[in-house]
Amino acid sequence: MARHATRLVCLLTLVAIAPRTSRAEPIKTWGGETPADVATPEPSAPTTEPPPAPPPATIGTPIDEPPTVPVTPVAPPEDAAAATTGVVRAPGRVGLRYTLEGIEVRGNTSTLARVVLRYVPLKAGDTLDVDDKELELTRFRLLGTGYFRDVRLSLRRGTRRGFVVLVVSVVERNTIVVNDLWLGLSTDADPSGAARPLTAYGGIDIAETNLAGTGVSLGGAVALADSQIGLRTRFVNPQFLGSSWTAEAVLLYNNARDFFGNKDVLVDDPRQQISQDYAVLQYRRFGGMVGAGHDLGVSTQLFFDYRMEKLDASLPLAASHHRGLDVEPIDFQIAPGTTLLSTLRATLIHDTRDEPVLPTRGDHLYLYADAALAPLGSDYSYVKIHARASHWMPLKWGHVLRLEGNAGGVFGNAPLFEKFYVGDYSDLLPDRVLDLNFDRRTSPNFLGTDIVEVRYGQYAAKANLEYRIPLYRGTRSVYGVDVFTSAGIFAIADARDLSQHARGYTGFATIPIDFTFNLGLKIDTQAGAFTLGLSNLLGFVPIRGNP
Amino acid sequence: VSPRAVFAWLSLAVALVAVDARAQQPAQPTAPQQLPSRQANYAWDKTLLRASFSFRDVLDKPLTARLTSGLPMVIAMRAYVFRENDPTPVALTVRTCSIKFDLWEEVFRVTLTGQGVDGERAVINAEGVLRLCAEARNLPIVDRPLLTAGAAHFLAAIVDVNPVSPQVLEQMRQWVARPTGSTGIGPGDALFGSFVGLFVRQIGTSDKTLTFRTQAFTP
Repeated sequence: MARHATRLVCLLTLVAIAPRTSRAEPIKTWGGETPADVATPEPSAPTTEPPPAPPPATIGTPIDEPPTVPVTPVAPPEDAAAATTGVVRAPGRVGLRYTLEGIEVRGNTSTLARVVLRYVPLKAGDTLDVDDKELELTRFRLLGTGYFRDVRLSLRRGTRRGFVVLVVSVVERNTIVVNDLWLGLSTDADPSGAARPLTAYGGIDIAETNLAGTGVSLGGAVALADSQIGLRTRFVNPQFLGSSWTAEAVLLYNNARDFFGNKDVLVDDPRQQISQDYAVLQYRRFGGMVGAGHDLGVSTQLFFDYRMEKLDASLPLAASHHRGLDVEPIDFQIAPGTTLLSTLRATLIHDTRDEPVLPTRGDHLYLYADAALAPLGSDYSYVKIHARASHWMPLKWGHVLRLEGNAGGVFGNAPLFEKFYVGDYSDLLPDRVLDLNFDRRTSPNFLGTDIVEVRYGQYAAKANLEYRIPLYRGTRSVYGVDVFTSAGIFAIADARDLSQHARGYTGFATIPIDFTFNLGLKIDTQAGAFTLGLSNLLGFVPIRGNP
Repeated sequence: VSPRAVFAWLSLAVALVAVDARAQQPAQPTAPQQLPSRQANYAWDKTLLRASFSFRDVLDKPLTARLTSGLPMVIAMRAYVFRENDPTPVALTVRTCSIKFDLWEEVFRVTLTGQGVDGERAVINAEGVLRLCAEARNLPIVDRPLLTAGAAHFLAAIVDVNPVSPQVLEQMRQWVARPTGSTGIGPGDALFGSFVGLFVRQIGTSDKTLTFRTQAFTP
């Protein structure tokens, strides 16, 4: 009876506020008839069924079936609703507010409901404004976890007037994902220091991102090249001991090499008796990292990590090369023998992308600061700050533009793998994989600067523009394919490259900057995301005589 | 195998994949005349041209079901006046419709914004929402002086459901602040653009986009 009365009031309201239509004189038309639906009177019987009575939800409930057990059972407070719910009128809009009775998760066949609820910044008893932008951000945040292919939010009536239940409907994606797959060609040097034209490297990073539906991520990675190996195991629990803190742990092992020397390299090393194109550094790393993180909001997280590693480095007794016009000793940027590295890191992540692999809009900020201090047992003492920010925007014609900025500095005595490496900034050289460096080349040097004298630097900056053209969107094994092209400019320098640049360079050439570009495909699949770039191969084409 | 040969083969493979994927996309119209056509009724209100047409098909079954989700849904319509064989629009009229289902009153609260239709409505069912938000009735289109006498003109419309870009919505809000009938546009207007820029389907800019043209009329 009450429901009928409500509808009657609404009908009367409709009559009272029905828009006035001006009388207009018909003119000549082509096609003649009035559009069929234009003047259709509103039927008196409603076609929209009222929402069903509040059902309870569960893990494993198919999205189209009512759930059976409440995820967040709530006893509605007796007096909270009336004051905070109802129609809110403001100039130009009508708002609606309710009291949240609970949150229900649907469609989760393997993910625990509590894992989903962790990303919803609302709780029973909160006032819910349907215009609250946090609701849309919550959807993006859930998509950003990588657990789900689709997320929809909706409301249904609660058990008492003014109360509603927020329904989070998810479609899960495969959670065993290939985070990274590396296959490439590089030019390195053999253990005696002789340059080799071409060698292969590869690696894979696999993770179960939602172990047994708990949201726990367990993964491992391996990278391989000639005489080099890198291993990682990683554990991340986004709800450590049921709290709102994320716990993570990483175990790492690297048996690594690196290549030093620009020109006219001379090495005093029993292992490098004949050919000496490059001075070869060999070192091992073994250690681990533990950390904890916390959400600062729907889109922002803060992490703190502690890392300890044992380093074993085997350096040539002495080595020299030409830097510019001068002969000088090579700095291997790591202490010989066994040393200890102990660091504290704070990381801030702000992520408003609409999806993690092929985003079309949003921002991603990654900012961290490392401090390695002697009181923490470290043989190295330095501070490292690094920020990377990206902004994606859809263009009117359906393509996507990404603006990216990247800058950092290392202040103090850091081992080489903590410094900025030219291959990580130039798309035409292989990136480091698990901190392993596979390539002995310097930057291609399109701009004719002294960037060819720099492979590792204390300071780095990059500005990059990426243009993506969506080619395919699907819902089965391949979710999306985009072709992309990017271009950017970067600079890497040690402190002395700025204050005391290599002799033989003048004017603009003393600024160690270079141009970089890439072209390829980005593919989002059920098995993970892949980028096929062509610039790595293009990097083998000699530029300005740089091999 | 030389690196250059590998690069050449990979370039060819990328190009083939790109061309193939592009070929699987539906063909895009390159001129307003190529948009799918539907009927409209035109009427003169003194010197102001008004039009009535329907775009109810913008709300398909899943979107109609989402009307009762309790969360806001926006239907934004832009209707451009084109001269036949001219890719540059001469006038624009816009209308936005924000729909919120009141779960406890069981009514749809609709906020209309547009030339001459500003205001709130309450309707009791999806049919009412369609009538208010997916139909244009006596929509003020253009003042006669902006049209070329004797030349055929037509309307080309873009209807977005839940457009993501707040900028577009803001531009539309500013547009409707103009006096009724002041619909002429020029290159300086925010919503002005070439046909391809305005009408070629945009990926990810809304939950659904519908574009169509009406039959021609001659002032």
